[in-house]
Amino acid sequence: MDVILNQYYLQIAIFVLLNAILGVSIYLTLATGQLSLGNAGFMSIGAYTCAILTVKAGLPIYLGIPIGGIAASFISIIIGFPALRLTGIYLAIATLGFGEVVRVIVLNLKVTNGALGISGIPTLGAKIGKALSALGFPHGVGGLTAQQTSNLMVLVVLLLCLSFLIFFCTRLNRSRVGRAFAAIKADESAAEAMGINTTYYKLLAFALGALIAGIAGGLSAHLTFFIGPKDFAYNRTVEILTFAVLGGSDLIIGPIVGALLLTLLPELLRSASEYRLMIYGALMVAMMAFRPQGLISEETVRFWKRKLGRGMKQ
Amino acid sequence: MFWQQLVNGLTLGSTYSLVALGYTLIMGVLNIINMAHGEIFMFGAFVGLLLVTYLKVNIFVAMAGAMVACALLGILMEMLALRPLRRRAVSDLAPLISTIGVSIFLENLALKIFGPQSQTFPSGALSGVQIQLGSIQISLVQIIILGISFGLMFVLRFWLSKTRVGKAIRTTAESIDTANLLGINTNKIILLTVALASGLGGIAGVLVGLSINAVEPTMGLSMGLKGLAVLIFGGMGNITGAMVGGLILGIAEVFTVAYGASSYRDAVAFGMIILILFIRPQGLFGSSTRKGGRF
Repeated sequence: MDVILNQYYLQIAIFVLLNAILGVSIYLTLATGQLSLGNAGFMSIGAYTCAILTVKAGLPIYLGIPIGGIAASFISIIIGFPALRLTGIYLAIATLGFGEVVRVIVLNLKVTNGALGISGIPTLGAKIGKALSALGFPHGVGGLTAQQTSNLMVLVVLLLCLSFLIFFCTRLNRSRVGRAFAAIKADESAAEAMGINTTYYKLLAFALGALIAGIAGGLSAHLTFFIGPKDFAYNRTVEILTFAVLGGSDLIIGPIVGALLLTLLPELLRSASEYRLMIYGALMVAMMAFRPQGLISEETVRFWKRKLGRGMKQ
Repeated sequence: MFWQQLVNGLTLGSTYSLVALGYTLIMGVLNIINMAHGEIFMFGAFVGLLLVTYLKVNIFVAMAGAMVACALLGILMEMLALRPLRRRAVSDLAPLISTIGVSIFLENLALKIFGPQSQTFPSGALSGVQIQLGSIQISLVQIIILGISFGLMFVLRFWLSKTRVGKAIRTTAESIDTANLLGINTNKIILLTVALASGLGGIAGVLVGLSINAVEPTMGLSMGLKGLAVLIFGGMGNITGAMVGGLILGIAEVFTVAYGASSYRDAVAFGMIILILFIRPQGLFGSSTRKGGRF
């Protein structure tokens, strides 16, 4: 048990889940065929709002994280409204620029502590550990150390968030809103001709993506003890985008698989870690050339279902 | 003070215009945004720097060298990252993502080859002569930047509107299929356009490297973002828009620094984009129809 639950593996698992949540955030915007390159910026807004609220105003974490998400989503509406009236690439560029603006503002504000960033953010694990000892389990539960227990609890919290998001997205896809998203993705003019208010739905998808990115930002602030402007730079956006590019953005499982692979691979290939971003770049080019729909598309799922279904009958 | 800042702004702005022209050419012909343009620009700066430092060549030769190297890089990018996507119908976003991949690859390649630290041109590369014009001081570097940028812009304009190849480029920009039917080898024209845009980026790289006297792998990203801002500000695929937009951005930035908010300098470009998207979403010189008014 100790082998599986060592600090290192738990940490990786936590980051896999966090990245999977970020993958969902880009998936939601891509569900309408729009590319948002501002996810790192929204993450930054969520993380800073949450960190400032919890560190400086003493708000509890469970309030800080949603407020951070809402702040990010509110700002996304302001940005998205003009950009979404235009087609395709405008949103990508406007959001890319927006991410840079957020970075510059964060670097210059006093409340965000400039380039030094905010440190001493209470970690989720420590909070849970404290709560556990208050409940009378100062040495952990069931033979695990206190640290293992609290890390495990963090993992459970993240897993719950992710499962809720997956549940939410699958339900969404079968609703009126989800069908509108799919229609816009397939053909925007046709969708408009069918009477779908495309701006509204694109804005909705964009704001939902920002909300989730903001929440992920808040979570990341409370997982890592420290946040700085560099954590949410362009590279982060590209990383999030790669999850969707590798995994595919047709189905929600795509970016999640992408996040899983791309978080695990650098850990496995430690020696190649300095080439990580170069590999990401080459991967993006190769994916676009050979498999633009990503590893997992609807056809892939159908294919495996048929194959496995046949296998079971025999 | 005001006139001095205006000259500084024009100098800075003319380099932005050059970078934005690279985006505009590719946008006009291929209807895609080449996200790797900033990194090609950065490679140009490095090639120029290496030529001046190690081969001790004249700065103009270094510029030509950077232009050739970047044009080759552009051709390579066209063949590896863009052409495979044209062969089949993919979404608008595919070339964007593909070029983002190229940009990340190139930036990290540069980090690996040249190291993260910022490098400077050797002191003898260009004399620091200052010329006094009334109350304005202009350095030789500034004059060269202004001269080369404006010269290139006007040559490009003339070349596109008057020569045979320029006409072929404009035809391809109107419609690749029609141009094909008219007997234009569009693959060749596209290759030429990408090489031209990248070459312009390379020259801009050397010019900017000279003016701020710092060349580093991350300079591509910030410059690329500004070029993109100009692209949207001036109107997608509009050459006049890129030229005027770049100058406006340069002047706006210099005045922001001169009158107060110097640390917000990098935010000016995107403040401008968001503003223009509210007021005039097609950009300063863009037309409201999607295809019309290219070049």
